[in-house]
Amino acid sequence: MQAQKQTKEAEFTLADLMTVAASREVADNEVVFAGMGMPMMAVMLAQKTHAAHLKLIFEAGTFDSHPVSLPTSVGDPRCETGSSRSSGLCETFFLAQRGYVDMGFLTGTEIDEYGNVNTTVIGDYLDPELRLTGSGGNPDINSFARRIVYIMIQEPRRFMKEVSYITSPGWRVKKWPSGQFVHRRELYGSAFRGGPSAVISTAGVFRFDQQTGKIYLDTFHPGQSPQSIAMLCQFDLDLSRVRGETQAPTPEDLYLIHEVLDSDEIFLPKARA
Amino acid sequence: MSNSKLITLQQAAEVVKNGSIITFSGFTIWRRPCSFVFELIRQGKSDLHLIEINSGPHSEFLIGAGCVSIWESSWIGHETYGKYGANLSRRIKNKEIIYEDYTHFEMGFRFLAASAGMPFIPTQTALGTDIHNPEYDMLGRAGLRDGHNPKIPKKKYEIIEDMFFQGGQQVLLPAAKADVAVLCVQQAGTGGTVRIEGQFFADPEIARAADTTIVIAEEIVPEEYLRREPRLNTIPGLIVDYIVEAPYGAHPTGMSGFYDADGDFIRNFYMQTRTQEGFDEFAREWIHGVSPKQYLEKLGASRLVALRATRAMGFGARTDKG
Repeated sequence: MQAQKQTKEAEFTLADLMTVAASREVADNEVVFAGMGMPMMAVMLAQKTHAAHLKLIFEAGTFDSHPVSLPTSVGDPRCETGSSRSSGLCETFFLAQRGYVDMGFLTGTEIDEYGNVNTTVIGDYLDPELRLTGSGGNPDINSFARRIVYIMIQEPRRFMKEVSYITSPGWRVKKWPSGQFVHRRELYGSAFRGGPSAVISTAGVFRFDQQTGKIYLDTFHPGQSPQSIAMLCQFDLDLSRVRGETQAPTPEDLYLIHEVLDSDEIFLPKARA
Repeated sequence: MSNSKLITLQQAAEVVKNGSIITFSGFTIWRRPCSFVFELIRQGKSDLHLIEINSGPHSEFLIGAGCVSIWESSWIGHETYGKYGANLSRRIKNKEIIYEDYTHFEMGFRFLAASAGMPFIPTQTALGTDIHNPEYDMLGRAGLRDGHNPKIPKKKYEIIEDMFFQGGQQVLLPAAKADVAVLCVQQAGTGGTVRIEGQFFADPEIARAADTTIVIAEEIVPEEYLRREPRLNTIPGLIVDYIVEAPYGAHPTGMSGFYDADGDFIRNFYMQTRTQEGFDEFAREWIHGVSPKQYLEKLGASRLVALRATRAMGFGARTDKG
């Protein structure tokens, strides 16, 4: 049944596939923090498919939003439409720290095999090759949500053995002042609720081992293979649990993305013949 | 000498002294006091210590113009319209600016502490990250945590154990103290009362955290008008020192209920100012010798109309897709 509803590869883009894969990570009734671009598209798609009661929070200060026009940033008044409350930063920060958030969708520039993410700098922090945006709320949402899904570009220089700067905490993090690596649970105490649960890259979907906190490959996108993805990581990628190919978007998914959510193609251009 | 709080944009910029610690309202590309920032640049301010919860195009203007010696924040960029802060990035690479990184929540909590008169505040965010790497205390490395400036804390942070509930490690963060906060809002009353439409971000906190608060408003309205329904007001006039009227004062950032962010302007700025020569050219065209009135004339009526928000939704309707 599922197979019949699936579409052929030429009918969707890689971005469509990733958005749909990301949307499947959310369950109904969950409280979700999402940033702009693909994360927001994934959440809005989930709202229109399997998670109609999902509660969407935007970091700048809106709660349970139902945008009718696609926002270009979380401070956009478009985020306020249909929301239960519109206020400010401290309130969203408190709500996350208090433990109300089930999951967050985030992006990263570099990631390591324990899910530590860098969005701050390429190269040495004290003598950078390229300074990037900095942390924003990435480590904050990651610290307090039960699950985090990262959306990443798959390249060897981005899937590193160790990131050059830990902006956002993975499963094995640094205990200061020594910088010795410890399990995340050890540091977070009463605030420990979880951590990175999946990475959706341009090549496949990854998950993390519950015990070791190490990343493994779950599914590979059409056109990729477990071996080709292993070549795109600087660490030894665990291929022992690969389930197969990433499920393709359904015609309904594609209709919702391109005709309902982003008909102006602000974030996701349509597949071109 | 009247007790009116109303001053000109030029007089407001003169309140900021070289070396001041300054912070701004808004969120990334929304409600940033850009017309005020342009005036700071025209007045040739130097050695500013910019402390913000997050930074945006307005920070990039100031940094590109060489007015800032310390950037202390969590993020800089232009959202959809530019990947990162190219001017900060260039000045960091050239070692022309001191940068101090905290997280977004950390900066918010620091302003919250300052706004409530608390010296510090605990949180469990970002434990185990390089934000807390002792080697990366950049104000400390620059020798600026020596107490010489009483608003710069002696330490970047302190880690303690929760001694009340055994909740584990807590990071204590110092209050974010500022000399001047500059807000850009929809309405201010003649007595300084502020009414913000839509999300107020952290404006109430930053207004209280600073010693001097300046409010740049799209509209200055009779104080009595705002006092008819005080529950709709965001900030009491008694903590506001000066008010300035500046229509489109946030452009190219957006103003909820008035106009959208000017994405094309911001994208062009980002692309053009990836080099210092590009920035200097931008500043010659849009800042130096350009009055606020001339700036709006240069943008033109049709562009401003296209950005205009509808009164029903608070944002641009985008029905004209031509």
